[in-house]
Amino acid sequence: MESVPGISGRAGASPGSPPSGGNDRIIRIQHLSKVFREKNRSVTAVDDVSFDVFSGEIFGLLGPNGAGKSTLIRILTTLLQPTSGSAWVDRYQVTKKDEEIRGIIGVCPQNSTLDVELTAYDNLEFYGKLLNVEEGILHDRVMQLLEMVDLTDRAHMPVRTFSGGMKRKLEIVRAFLHRPLILFLDEPTIGLDPDSRWEVWEQIEKLNAERTTIILTTHYMEEAEKLCHRIAFMDRGRLIALDTPENHKRAIPAGDLIEIGFETMKEGLLSALTATGLVKSAEAKDNRVIISALNGSRVLPSIIAVFEKFSMPMTSISIRSPTLEDVFIYLTGRKLDAGNGDVPTGGGR
Amino acid sequence: MIRGAVAIFTRDFKKFLSNPFVIVMTLFMPVMYLVIFGNAMGGTITHIPIGVVQDQPYMTETPLFTAAVEEIRNFHQPDKPSMFDVTIYSSEEVAKLALSQGRISAAVIFPSELSADHVVRVYEDSSDYMVPSLIEAGISSAMAGTGSPDPVAINRIYGQIDYIQFFGVGVIVMAIFMTTMMGGAFALIRDRELGIIEGYLVTPVKRSSIILGTIGSTTVRAFLAGVIIFIFDILITGVAVRRIEDFLLVLIVIFIASIGVTSLVVALASRFSTQQEYASVVAFFNLILFMTSGAFYPTIGMPGWLSWIAWFNPEAYTVHALRSIILRGQGIDIIGTDLVALGIFSTLAIFLGIATYRRTLE
Repeated sequence: MESVPGISGRAGASPGSPPSGGNDRIIRIQHLSKVFREKNRSVTAVDDVSFDVFSGEIFGLLGPNGAGKSTLIRILTTLLQPTSGSAWVDRYQVTKKDEEIRGIIGVCPQNSTLDVELTAYDNLEFYGKLLNVEEGILHDRVMQLLEMVDLTDRAHMPVRTFSGGMKRKLEIVRAFLHRPLILFLDEPTIGLDPDSRWEVWEQIEKLNAERTTIILTTHYMEEAEKLCHRIAFMDRGRLIALDTPENHKRAIPAGDLIEIGFETMKEGLLSALTATGLVKSAEAKDNRVIISALNGSRVLPSIIAVFEKFSMPMTSISIRSPTLEDVFIYLTGRKLDAGNGDVPTGGGR
Repeated sequence: MIRGAVAIFTRDFKKFLSNPFVIVMTLFMPVMYLVIFGNAMGGTITHIPIGVVQDQPYMTETPLFTAAVEEIRNFHQPDKPSMFDVTIYSSEEVAKLALSQGRISAAVIFPSELSADHVVRVYEDSSDYMVPSLIEAGISSAMAGTGSPDPVAINRIYGQIDYIQFFGVGVIVMAIFMTTMMGGAFALIRDRELGIIEGYLVTPVKRSSIILGTIGSTTVRAFLAGVIIFIFDILITGVAVRRIEDFLLVLIVIFIASIGVTSLVVALASRFSTQQEYASVVAFFNLILFMTSGAFYPTIGMPGWLSWIAWFNPEAYTVHALRSIILRGQGIDIIGTDLVALGIFSTLAIFLGIATYRRTLE
C-alpha cells in the first residue's frame, strides 16, 4: 500500500504537502495543474493544487462555479490528463495506472449518465457488468442497492419516469455497485429540491458508514457543512484553504456577525460603534448596520446603547455565527455564488 | 402577438445562421438530388455491350450478318451515341459464356441463311431493368433495316424478371444503410450528447470493449434488417432462391456489407458532435451511395463521372453480388470480385471506425 514515490517534480518539497506517509492517505495530489488551450486563449482550470485525502473521510471541494472542482475530479477519475504535477489514487499514479484506478473508484458525474430509457434495475445491472461485479452476486447486489434507496418497487420502471431525487440516488448507488474504495460525487445535489437533497445526504452518510472515502464537490454551504469532515476551498483553480469546518470558522478573525436594521442613518454612529472597542468592524449597507464582534451576544447590549444614544430606531436585530459562506467571503472577498463561469469544466465530447 | 412571433422568428433564424455547415448541406442536398437523381434515372442508356455470332456452318460472313451487325452498330436514338457496343464472337459457346458472366447483356446468333425458316436467336440477360427491352427493340429495328425475312426469337435466360424483383434486391442494401445510419449512429451520438458514454469511461471496462460492443450491436441489427428484407423479397416479390448455398452466400454478402457500412457510419458519427450535422452528411452519403449503386436503375445508364463513383461504392458491389445470386443464380465465381471489393472496403472501414471512435473515448 505504501509504495508511493517521494514528492516528485518541481523545486523540491513544498511545506504544505506532506511526504508520502501513512496508509491512511488514500489520495495524494502534488502540484497538480491543468491548462486548457483553445486557439489563442488558455485557461488555467487547476493551478498548482496539492493536498491529501484521508481514508474514510468525506472530503468536500467547495467553490463557486468554474473554480476548478470538476476539472480536478475529472483528473482524479482518469477522464482528463493533468498538464503538470502528479496525483496518486490509493497506490496508483494517475495517468500511469488508469485502468487500476477505475477499478477502485466509483464516480457520479455532475451531469447524469443514467440511461433513462432503461429501467432502474437494468441501469444497475448493466453497470455491474461494466464494473466487473461477479455474475453470481450481481442480482442480489442490485436488489440490495435498490432497497437502500427505496426504489425496490420501481425497479422495473424506466428511469425516465423518476423524479430528480430518485435519479440522483440511483446514480449514486450505481457508482457504489462494486464497493469502491473511493466515491467521487460531483455536485450530487445540484438542482434538487430540499427534501430530495436531504435524502441524498442521508444516502451519502450511509455509504460513508461502510468505510468508503467520499470526495464531493459542491457549491452549497450547508451541504458541505453537514456532510464533510474536511473542506478544501477552491477559487479560480487554486486551493485557498483546507481544514475542518470548525477550524475554518475559527480562522475568521471577525467572530460573530450582528446585523441591525434601521430606517435613517445618523452621522457618527459607525465611528461611535468602533470607539466602544467591543466591535471589530461596523459598516452600513442596504439599511443595515453590519457589525462583527468576537462575542456577539455579550456585546449586543452595549451596541444597542449606542443606537439609543443616537436616537436611532432599530427595525431588526440578528446575531449569527459565521458560516462557511462567511469563510469564503473572508478568504476571497467575494460571495460564493457569484460565479465567474470563466473556466470550462472540461472538454466534453 | 407580433412581438412574440418576431422574437421567435429572430431566435430561430439566429440559430440557423450560426451553423453554416448545416446551411450549406441543406442547400447542397437538393442540388445533389437534381444532379444525381436526374443523371442516374433520366440518363439515356447507351453502349449496351452485346455479342454477335455467325452461326454454323460458318464459311464466311453472310450478307445478312454483315448488314445486321452494321445496323446494330449504328442503331441509336436521335442525337445520342450508339446504343450498342458490338463484339463479334467466334462461336455460340463463347458468346453464351460471356453472357453468363455478365460481360455482355445479350448474345445474338445469326443463321447462315436468309430465309423465314431460319431464326435469329437472341439470348438476353433479363435480370436487368430497361436494358432487355432496349435490346429487343434495337434488334427488331435493325433486322427490319436489313430487310431480311428471318424472324427474331428472344430467350430471356433468367426468365421474366419484374422491376419489383430487380428493385427488391437493392432494398436489402437500403435496409442495411438505414439501420446503421438511423438506429445505430443516431443512438451513438445521442448517448454521447447525454453523457452516457462518458459514464462508461470511469468504469474499468476496456476501451476496446466499448468499441467492439458498439460496432457489434449495430452490425447485428443491420444484418438482421438485411435478412428480414431479403425474406420479404422472397415472400412478396417472388424471387426464388434455389439452393441452400445461394442462401448462405446471400447471408455472407449481407454480413460483410453490414459490418463495413456500420464501421463507416460509426466513424462518421464520431466526427460529428451534433445529430443535425451528422444527419445532413449522412443523408448526402445515403443519396450518393444508393443512387449510384444500381439499386434503382442500371448503372449503365449513368453518365461517366457517376459510374466512376459507383466504382468506389461498396453498395454497388453489394447490389451486384446480391443480384447475381438472387436473380441469376450465379455463384462465387461471378461474385468473387464483388466479395473482394467489399472485403477491402469493410476492412478499411473497420480500421477507420475503430480509430475514429477510439479518439472520442480519450
